[in-house]
Formats: sequence, C-alpha cells, structure tokens
Amino acid sequence: MTQKVLRLLFLIGIFSIQSFYAQTTVTGKITDALDGEPLPGVNVIVKGTSHGVSSDFDGNYSISLEDSNVVLVFSFIGYSDKEVSVNGQSLINVKMEQSTEALDEVVVTALGIKKETKALGYSLTELKGDEMAKIPETNAINALQGKVAGVNITQNATGAAGSSRVVIRGASSLTGNNQPLYVVDGIPISNENNGSAGMWGGSDGGDGISSINSQDIASISVLKGGAASALYGSRASNGVIIVTTKTGKGQEGFGVEYNTSYTFDKVDTSLQDFQTSYGQGRRGAKPSSQEEAFDMGLSSWGPKLDGSGVVQWDGEIRPYSYVGSNVNRFYRTGSTFINTLALSNSKENLTYRFSATDLDNEDVMPNSGVNRKTFNVSVNSKMAEKLTSTVNAQYIIEKANNRPRLSDAPGNANYTVAMLSPNVDVRTMKPGTNSDGSERRYSSNVYSQNPYFAAYNFRNEDTKNRIIANTTLKYDITDWLYIMGRAGIDHYTIKKTSVEPWGTAYKPLGSIRETEIRYSQVDMDAMLGYNDQFVDDKFGISAFVGVNSNSIESESLHLNGSNFIVPGLEDIANTENQSRSRGYSMRKIGSVYGSAEFSWDNFAYLTITGRNDWFSTLSYPGKTTPNDDFYPSVNGSLVLSELFDMGNAVNFLKLRGGWSEVAGGADAAYQLALTYQIFGQGHLGQPTGDITNGSVPNANLIPYSKTETEIGIDGRLFSNRLNFDVAYYTNRTDNDIVPVSASEWSGYGSALANIGVVENKGVEVLLSGKPILTDNFYWNTSFNYAYNDGKVVSTNETGSDIGLGSARSRNVEIKQIVGEDFGSIVGVSYVRDDAGSIVYDIDGDGVPLAQRGPRKILGVGVAPTQWGWANTFSFKNFNLYMLIDGKMGGQIFSGTNTNLYGNGLHKETLNGREGGLEVTGIDAATGSSFTTVVAPENLSTYYGRISSIAEEFVSDADYIKFRQLSIGYSLPGSLLDNIFLEKVDLSFIATNLFYIQRSVDNIDPESAYNVGNAQGLEYFGVPATKSYGFSLNVKF
Amino acid sequence: MKKTIYILLFALVFSACDKGFDEININPTKPSQIDVRNKMTAVELFTSGRRYESWRANLIYSSTMMQHFATTAGYWAGDKYTWNRGYAASLIDAYTTSAVKNVEDMMLQLETEEAPKEMKAVTRILRVFIYHRLTDMYGDIPYSEAGKGVIEGILTPKYDAQSAIYADMLKELEQSAADLSTGDSGFGSADIMFQGDQGKWKRFANSMMLRLALRMIKVDPAGAKEWATKAINGGVMTSNDDIAYIQHTAGPEGINKNGNGEVFTVDGSPRMSDTFIGFLQDDPRLPILAWRRGDHSTDPADLKGLPNGLDLTMLKELTGEENTDAYAEPNRSIITGEDAPMFFQTYAEAEFMLAEAGVRWGLAGDPEEHYNNGVRAAMKMLELYTPDAAISDAAIDTYLAAHPYDSANAIEQINTQYWIATFLNEYETFANWRRVGYPRLTPINYPGNVTNGTIPRRLTYPSSEESNNAENLAAAIAAQGPDELTTRVWWDTPGGSE
Repeated sequence: MTQKVLRLLFLIGIFSIQSFYAQTTVTGKITDALDGEPLPGVNVIVKGTSHGVSSDFDGNYSISLEDSNVVLVFSFIGYSDKEVSVNGQSLINVKMEQSTEALDEVVVTALGIKKETKALGYSLTELKGDEMAKIPETNAINALQGKVAGVNITQNATGAAGSSRVVIRGASSLTGNNQPLYVVDGIPISNENNGSAGMWGGSDGGDGISSINSQDIASISVLKGGAASALYGSRASNGVIIVTTKTGKGQEGFGVEYNTSYTFDKVDTSLQDFQTSYGQGRRGAKPSSQEEAFDMGLSSWGPKLDGSGVVQWDGEIRPYSYVGSNVNRFYRTGSTFINTLALSNSKENLTYRFSATDLDNEDVMPNSGVNRKTFNVSVNSKMAEKLTSTVNAQYIIEKANNRPRLSDAPGNANYTVAMLSPNVDVRTMKPGTNSDGSERRYSSNVYSQNPYFAAYNFRNEDTKNRIIANTTLKYDITDWLYIMGRAGIDHYTIKKTSVEPWGTAYKPLGSIRETEIRYSQVDMDAMLGYNDQFVDDKFGISAFVGVNSNSIESESLHLNGSNFIVPGLEDIANTENQSRSRGYSMRKIGSVYGSAEFSWDNFAYLTITGRNDWFSTLSYPGKTTPNDDFYPSVNGSLVLSELFDMGNAVNFLKLRGGWSEVAGGADAAYQLALTYQIFGQGHLGQPTGDITNGSVPNANLIPYSKTETEIGIDGRLFSNRLNFDVAYYTNRTDNDIVPVSASEWSGYGSALANIGVVENKGVEVLLSGKPILTDNFYWNTSFNYAYNDGKVVSTNETGSDIGLGSARSRNVEIKQIVGEDFGSIVGVSYVRDDAGSIVYDIDGDGVPLAQRGPRKILGVGVAPTQWGWANTFSFKNFNLYMLIDGKMGGQIFSGTNTNLYGNGLHKETLNGREGGLEVTGIDAATGSSFTTVVAPENLSTYYGRISSIAEEFVSDADYIKFRQLSIGYSLPGSLLDNIFLEKVDLSFIATNLFYIQRSVDNIDPESAYNVGNAQGLEYFGVPATKSYGFSLNVKF
Repeated sequence: MKKTIYILLFALVFSACDKGFDEININPTKPSQIDVRNKMTAVELFTSGRRYESWRANLIYSSTMMQHFATTAGYWAGDKYTWNRGYAASLIDAYTTSAVKNVEDMMLQLETEEAPKEMKAVTRILRVFIYHRLTDMYGDIPYSEAGKGVIEGILTPKYDAQSAIYADMLKELEQSAADLSTGDSGFGSADIMFQGDQGKWKRFANSMMLRLALRMIKVDPAGAKEWATKAINGGVMTSNDDIAYIQHTAGPEGINKNGNGEVFTVDGSPRMSDTFIGFLQDDPRLPILAWRRGDHSTDPADLKGLPNGLDLTMLKELTGEENTDAYAEPNRSIITGEDAPMFFQTYAEAEFMLAEAGVRWGLAGDPEEHYNNGVRAAMKMLELYTPDAAISDAAIDTYLAAHPYDSANAIEQINTQYWIATFLNEYETFANWRRVGYPRLTPINYPGNVTNGTIPRRLTYPSSEESNNAENLAAAIAAQGPDELTTRVWWDTPGGSE
C-alpha cells in the first residue's frame, strides 16, 4: 500500500513539473461540472478572434497564445458558455455547467450509438453507475427495481444467488422467453437460467446478467419499446438493456479507487405470524410414544401447550411448550462482503482501467452461498490521428455452494423448518445424520427432510468461469464519414454437481449428477457512418449502415449415477447404474441494418431504421419458405420549446412518437425437422433407437412479430426544478409461437404454430424535481409509475387454455386464457349456492367438508401497476437516500398458507380448538342451510379440506416496501487536502427494511419459486431477508 | 472511389448473411434417420411395456378385475371398480407416443427404403399386436390415422370402428404370414423376440390370427370360424420355443426392465386373490407363483388368498387383521424380477385355443390332447423365469390325472386354464374373459364403485381427447356408447354365444 502511495505521489509530482515548461501555451482539462466526466469537442476560442481549438476525447485542450492577457471562451452544445481570463495562467481546468435552456443530455442508444435525448422519438431511461452501485446487490440488475418506470423486476424467493425476472412493458410471448436482451459494451450476452425450480422442486441456478459487477457499470440504458430497440431486430421484442462499463475516462492521471461494503442479511421474521399455542399431535391428542411422534410428523393438531413432558420424534421427553421461532434458529445471519479495487490512468491518447472485485455471500440458508470474483480491463486508445480503439474484457469466476432446494418438499429445508410444530425445536434435529451417515429422520414421511441433512448433506454446487470481451476499432475516413468494426465474445463453462446422498430417506441409495455446460456467443459488427450538415448547418443527417453476425454455440455433458455402492463416496464411478448424455446446439443470425436521422434546426428530428435478419434456425436443406425477415421503425421528436417562446417557466418541452416492428422467438436450433436418437444403452447388445421429437416439427415456423406505437412528452420546468416524462404505448404480438393441441393418438404432444396473439398497453410516468436547492442543502425527489394492461387475445386454433405451470398442491395453476390478463391464476374454488353461501358435504362424523368446486380464475400473477419513489437529501457533507416502491393489482397463491391450514399452524386454525367451531353453510345433500359445531378433534378434517381449496389461499400481492436506505458522509475536502486521499465516502446502507403495506399474510408478496412465465405461485422458497451494512468508497 | 469500395464490401457481406445456414441447422447429435433394426428393438421393448402402464392398466386395473390379484390399497382402482381416469387411459398414454408412433414410422421407412417383404411382414405383425391390445382394451380407437402426426400431418385422427380394425388386422396377419417362410427376416438379433426367425414370426402371426378369430365368437361366429380355420391351416405355435416374449434385464435403465417387475419393486400392495389361490389348489404352480407376505413361506397350506374389494377397515371388521401380511403375494424370488420375461403370447395359449376350436368346430384334431399339451406347456414355461421354477413331468402328470379333460365342461375348463396361463399378461386375461366368460368370477360391490357392482368391460379414453380431439371422440362415443367402464366393445356383445 505504501508503495502505491509513493508511486502515486511521484506521478503527481511529475505532472506538476511538466506544467512549468508550457509557458507560451495554456492547457487544461474540461469536465462536466456535475459528474466530472471529460467533455470532448468543446470549442475553446480567444474572445474576439477566430483563433481556437477543441478539446480531445479526454477533454484536454492546448492552445498557444501570443498574449497571456486574453479571455478564453469555452462553448459546447448543451452547456452554458464559460469565459475565463488567462491572466498569465498556464493551466486552466474548466468545469462546464449544463445549460438550463435545453436538455442536451447524451445517452447511449441501440448498438452503442450516442444520441442527444432531444432527438429521441421514444422513451429511454439511463441510469448512471453510481445509482446502480450505491447499494450493492448480489445481482446488479436488482438495483433497477423501483427506479425505472415500465421495468418490472421480481426477485422472488430463489436464494441470494438466484435469478431475477425482468420484464419491460409487459410480456410479449405466451410461452416464450419474456426477458430483455442484455448488451454489454455492444455485445449481446447470455442471460440463460442455469436451472430453476418447478412444481416438483429443484433449485435456482442463477441467471446470466448476475455475472455483471455493479462496481464496473458506468451506465445502464433501458430501451423499453420497439422504437428504441428496433435496431436489434429479431431479438428486440422484450426490450434491450444496454450496459456500458467504466473506462479510465474522467480520471486525471493515475488513480486508485477502493470500494468495500459489508451487509448482514437476516430472515425477515416479521412476515410470519403462525399460531404458537397448540403443539404437535393429532385430533387434539399429544403423541404418546416415540413411534407416534415420529408418525405425526408436522401435524400441529395437538392440545393446548401446557408445559407437561411429552415425548418427541427422537424419543426424548421435552416440555410441551412453545420453543420460540425455529426460523431464527435454523437460518443464520447471512452476509455479503464486496471489495473492489480499481486502478485507472488517463494519458494522452490512452486511457485504461483495471478492476478486481471479490463478492462473497453467505446466504441465510446454512452452508449456502456464492463467491464471485470479477476482473475487468478497459483500454481506450487513439492509435493514430483518425484511428481509435477500445478493448473491454471481464473475467468472472463464480462459485455457488448448496443452492437451496425450493417448492416441493423433498430436499427442501425451508419446508420442514416452516412447518415444525410450535413445541418442536429444530435444533434437536442437529446433526442431520445418523452415525452411518444416513438421514436422521424426524418423521415417517420420507419426502420431508431433516433440514440439517438437506442443508449440509445434499450437494448442489457449481462453478462458472466466464469471459465477456470485446474490441472496437473506429477509423474516421473524413470528418463526415467513419467506419467501425466491433467484435466480442461471451464465453462460459459451468461445472455442476448435485448429489442426493446415500441414506436420503426417499432415496436410500442416493444419486449423483455431474453436468458440464459450455456456451459461446460471438458477435461481430461492421458499420459505415455518415454525419453532415447542410443549409447553413440547419439540416443535419446522421446515418449509418452495418452488418452483424451473431452465433451461439452451446454444449452440455451429463453423467448420471444412482445407487452408491460405497456409502459416503460421492463419485460417479461409485454407482450401480450410470447413464450419460450430451446436448449440442449451434445457431446463427446474419443481419444488415441501417439508420438515418434527419434533423432541422435543433427542433425537429426524424429517425428511420431498418434491419433484416437471416436465421439459421429457420434454414434447412430444401426448405422453400423464407429464412429471413425485415424489421422497420420510425420515430420522431419535436422540441416545442425551441419552436415557440414558452416563457421562463418552460425550459424544455418535447413531443415524441414512434412506431416499430420487432420480433422474438424461433431461436432454438433443430426445430424444423424430425430427428432420431439412439437412446439408453441398448438391450441384449442391440442398440435402441426412436424418434426424438415430442412435438410435431413445423418447417414453416417464423419468429413472432411485435408492433408497437408509442407517444410521449417530456419537459423541464421552472429552471429545471421540475421534470416530467409521460409515455403511452400500445403493442401487439402476432404469430406468437404456441403449442397447437394434438391428440396423443397422433404420436405427438403438440405441434408448434405461429398463431398466438398478445396485446399490451400502458402508461409510464416519471416526475422528478428539486424542491429545495440551496448551497448547503438540497432535496431531490423522483417518482415513477407504470401501468401495463397485458391481454391474451388468442391462444391456439381452438382458443383453448395454455397451461404454464402448477403448484405442488396441484389445485392451482397459471394459465393463458383468451380474453383474460396475461398469466391468470386458475384454481379450485368453493362450491357456492346462488346466494353465495359455501356448500358442504357432511361426513360420517358430522364434519362439514367444504365442497371442492370447479377451477376458476382466482387472480393474475403479474401486478399491472408498479411505482417507485426515491428521495435524496443532501446537507453539507451528509446525504440521505431512500427508495420506497410498490406493486398493485396482482395476486399470489400461497403454498405456505395452504400447508399451514393443513397442519394446524395457521392462526385461523385456532378458531374452534376449545369448544369447537360453529360452521354455517349449505348442506349439499339437502340443499338447505345448516349450522353445526365441529368438535375440536375433528378440526383437522375440516381445515384439511379447506386447505385443498385454492380460492382460500389466493390473496392480493399488493405491497408498499421501504426498499432501500443509505445515509452517507463524505469527508470534507479540507480534511483531505493534506493527505493523499482524494475522496472518502462512508455510508450506512440497508435494503428491504420493512413493508409499509402488505396484503398477504405470512409470506413475502414477491416469493414465487422461479422466474419463468408462471408467476403467482408461492411454495416454500427461501424466506425474505432484510439487510443492513455499510459501504466505504475511497479515491486516491 | 473509396465509397464504391465500401459499398462493394458491404454487398459482399450482405450476400453472405445466410451462408451455410442450411447445414448449421442440421442437428449434429441427432441423426435424421437410423437403421430400422434399431427401431425394431425399441418398439419391441415399448410394446412389452414400461412401468407406467404396467402398473396402471395391467396390474391396478386388469389383474384385480380378473381376480388374479387383490389388495386393500385404495388406489388399486380395479379391485374396487372405481374410476381413475388417468390410470384407465394409461395404456393409450404410454403406447401412442412410443410403440404406435415408432411402428408407423418403421412402416414408412421400410416402404421408402424398399425393404424386403419379410422385414415388412414382421413389422406388420408387431403392429397388429400393438393395436389389438389397444382396441381390445378400449374398443373403437384411431387406427388408420394413428401415429401419423408427422407422416401425414394428422393431429386429430378419427376413431375407427373396432369391427373395421379387426377386419384390417386379420388381413394384415394373413398377408404377413404369407410373406414369411424360414430363415432370417433381415432383422437378425435386433429382433430381440425371435432373433429374426421367420418361422417363429409366421407361427406367431397365425396364433395371433387364432386369438383374434376367437375374440369374434360372440359377434360373428361364422367369421370367427373362418379365420380360425385359416390360422390353424397356416400353422400356430408348436412348442415353448415358439413363445413370443421379451427377455428383460434388470437395467441399466428403465426401458430394459420388465414393467411389471418395476412395479413389484416399489409397490408392495398386491396380494394373490383368493379366487386365484382357489383355482391353484393342488397345482404345482402355486408355490412358484406365490409366497406368504409375512414370512415368504411357499407351503401351499400357508398360502391364503385375499378377497377382492376390501379396504383395511373392512378387512379388520371381517377378520380382525390389522394388515395383510398373512396373505399370499406374488413370489418375489421368482416371478417379480425386473429381469423377468414378458410374455406376448404363449404356446400354451395356442394349445388351449386349438382345444376350443376342436370343441366348437371340430377343427385341429383332438381337444383333449390340446388341453393336455396346453397345461403341460403352461407349467413348463415357468422355467423361463428361472430354472428353479422347473416343474417335473411327474408333477404335471399328477395334476392332469387330478384334472382330466372334461368334455362336458370343456369350454369352461380350457378357458380357466387359459386364465391361469395368462397370469401377469392381464391385458390378455381380461380380453379372453370378456369374450368367453370363464372362469365365472363373482363381482365385488365396494361402496362407491362406478359399475353398479359388475366387472368392468373396458377401460376409458384419456380426458385429454376431450380438448385435443373433441369431434372425433364424440363420434366414437356416439357409435360405441358412453365412455364408461361398463360399456362393451364391439366383439363383447352381451349374451352372445359362449
């Protein structure tokens, strides 16, 4: 460290010595006053003359002067002119203020093209890196939650290393992938899920975007609609998120930056409110023997806890009293420790940045966590007068241990811990193994694991090595014509091991699965660009054409073994039955694209784009239908504030509109033709072969197309103190690829066809302002709101429902139903008479059993309304940031509450425990009303039947959450003057602090167990956590 | 000038946008065609059946309705005549996407490749076996349009009348048998049933023809006689060497295993029905087929059958027993293995059919001789499970002496032996019992049964057909009758000749 500091001082020394030699020349660096970014292309003119220069791409300028007593005028589009008297100075660094007259902000648009926002005919939200990194997240994309109108992020209950679901402006495909395309420094990257949980359990293997380190992000551009993303053609249907990583730009000379953050993660036990007064038992009776206790398992239908000694599952006699929260005992305090060191340098013609990050997460689930190391290099250089190059590379090593099992009970520790009776202490189950290594069972149900065995003995680990790299070369042929080439790769390998150990109750001999996945995406662009101005520089043209080639190759190797021979030796060779398989896929897209932007006098803009994509996935020898498609878009904007004088109140006002046609789907290889396989290992020495396809291949499949129209208005009022941006869009997906039902007698389950239709329309509003702005104190506030109405217009040829997934309780599923919202929750309902009273069967014991009715639409799994409200307060060196967000209008089915009813743990099941429960309803047998009292010992039958009726367990998933808080302190400059530090910021940070409002009881409203299209089903995921910690940012 | 170069450059790239794409989209891991022999091996295994349908259609339903097995387990729907739609449809669910789909594909491939007629003949016989099992179980089914989702793009095949299916199957068998002589069919060892032996396939075809002929005895006695005559003249199985069966192995994967055996590995609930045990008294097969659940005793005196149609509560009320450990279950040291043979049709069955043809029409010589041959073959073939299961000739002689051919009750006696001999091939047991009515089984009347206390006459269609093939299903139901367990298939006319 000392060495580094010395070296730093040395460099600073050299820099200052250098300046002594520039006596006849004034040099300096021009930066943005707000963010310190260098400003290239700034005009520097000696006042009253035509003598001038412009700054280079690092913001540096150098002007030779005959007279040192002149005034320099700095001017740049979008910024206020600045005049500085030289007065013999040789070094003049200038900070330029953004003009309040017009919004001339420059943002990154499709294909990495930078544009002024006033020229955009569509909605685009750009977030700066410091907004993303303010409160570090294990998955950086989660930092967008609540911040961007129209971007719906769901983190769900998949564990710290799990995936997130990101959907922009509603889902466009009934069954396909609905998540956006991610582009990092111009190169599309994979966001594939490395495994997810379903109805029968499983675990979430994380997604591709989580590899990106938040500390390396310079900015994120969200291209929400088709007009913004149209240049990505067939991959643009779900919007595009463009990540630009940090470079050495903005750095003066050599710099070192160090970030550290440490957060504690704790299970939010405030969500759970179970009954704690009745213990393990059956029909009101305690277990009388170890066998009985073992057999009763998770049943909490015992008598009132009385402190007497009662035998438990292990034969021990313990007091029959409440033992406290098992959740607090089983889950640990997790932690996330992130350290980043970044070195950067900026020299003439060369800037570079290197960073290394270590993210170490210990999840609240014992023995579970993820470690991610990221190394990032970025080099920008001006190789020759007209030639610039950029190289970015990231290397990521990610190791995840014991990704927790979710949903169905087998191997899922969450299930057992949540369902234990109030008088059973989870710690009595520790250790999870018997002396021979087999599972120490607590119950006769083999499918419900000892949670310690599930956490410590099940194995579910993987290592991912990933490199994302790209290089760009740009050559300015003339000042109006340039050519650019870009090539990049996203390559990773994943090695996974999952083991159900020897001695597992439901699989006594165990099994092992070894998987290796290799993925490469190579993307190449070549572009020819043209910029020119005519008619007294009033008419501008900015155009480019380009070609692109994208190829994705993936391979997977699987080794499966079952029945370990030597107990405890978890190796594939140590199994009785083994099988292996290999998967392979290669696909390419070739494209030609072009864009032309016409502008008139800084107030009228029109952009036309087009892209033609050719697909390998739609090609096959002898195929006659086209293997390509064309995707056009047009958008324009009119800056009214430039056109009319709108007075002082209106600083900027723009109307915009766009239309586009983009596409998605049809991206899987080998779907057009029938294939065969040699399967298994043959029989009696003879190979066995059959048809591979489960659905009828469709040689004429095409990507679905999505057309979108959007209009918007944005403005800045009262000296930029109040900003607003409103967008309205309507889009329609046609030719969605859906499974057409086929009779099983055809030999196939379905046939794919282009006949689905989905429509979305919605509004996005962004309001931001600076209500208070003084020298010492300011308050920034920003509110965003989005409403999306997604409708299923057509499913398949018969208009039948398309099922997306069921909950393990099998009484509820998510379906696409014609005329309904996207993703309806459909489940078993109560039978009611005309007056709405519940109809009951009365069983032999006289217990009324609510009749299970037909499946009905009980809700919708995706909330249509979401909003976020962020506030920043800054007082001198202190700042306070808080984010509150909410979602409304969606529902969730709670598998937890279903099981709480069945096992007598739900507070509702306390009704009737003493003296019986009075039930009034309609007797199915007679059709007339009855009133009866259910005896306490029969309550389990009564509530058990209710637990099978999904209607009871579908609740509103509305919430308002205090999502983020940070309280920061920056060391004052006066303290830093005499030491080597440039900047020190210290913050207290917290996420998921609490719910301000929540409709569903006992669970987190956002706790689905996967991030697929079947949203709205909760079933024993990892409990919600809240985090507190600190972060420190130091700049040398 | 420079501009022109750039434009040319772009034009070049443009033209190359989909270069080589045709080849890229050919799956390098999956062949676009394979040797038809590899399909033969697979389709024979698919037809033998896997755990799914062996559990549900064969054991849970057929074996208990036929009172070979009995159980107190509630989900064994056949024991109590309750209706589990998923179980009832399981044979269709399993066969359509495996055996049916791939055998139709084989037929197309053999045609396209202009394969020798012997290979076609063998495939056609196997195809008839697949469909006869399906139509016997369900009645009218898609036949002419089944399995053709890709071949002809038929996603919603029509249901054919069973009478038409039978006519076509008999024609197929006749033509196929005519195309066969001796030597290898061309399938060689890939034919894991007969190792390509044309002679065995020919005799199997004729034995199948005889089976189908006798099925029609109630609905079309004249046709039955005509086809039985053709079958007998063509030559049916002549020894246990001709038995049509698949030898399974205990792994490495599910496909290799005997489907029934896989069920017995995981499901301990079936007991021998007391009906079956009753017929096996003083039968040397009894200790081979059964042992006592509790202690594995094979002493015939210890082998007690469980009555059908009881649940545990009823059993307790009846006998005071808390469990069924005292009852006989399938002998787990011999017949329940995952490596057990799976019989499609046996020589013993052929002999019993010849005996019946003799009784009915005076065909095929002396019925008594065929009866004796049948009993002897049925006992001897148990050796195929394990040499330990060998029954001595002396024991067989003793049994035959005690149960001599009885010409007065020949049809009942012959078919009772047929019922014993087809134990575990419950599809066949169920079909033969429905056509002939022997042995006389006493139905149970479990509370809540859906058949009004009668033995079901068929299994029901998959509910998915209601949404995926509604019109054709409706037409089939209109023609055949309601989709219920009690509806009779075409050849099962009530009160026909027996």
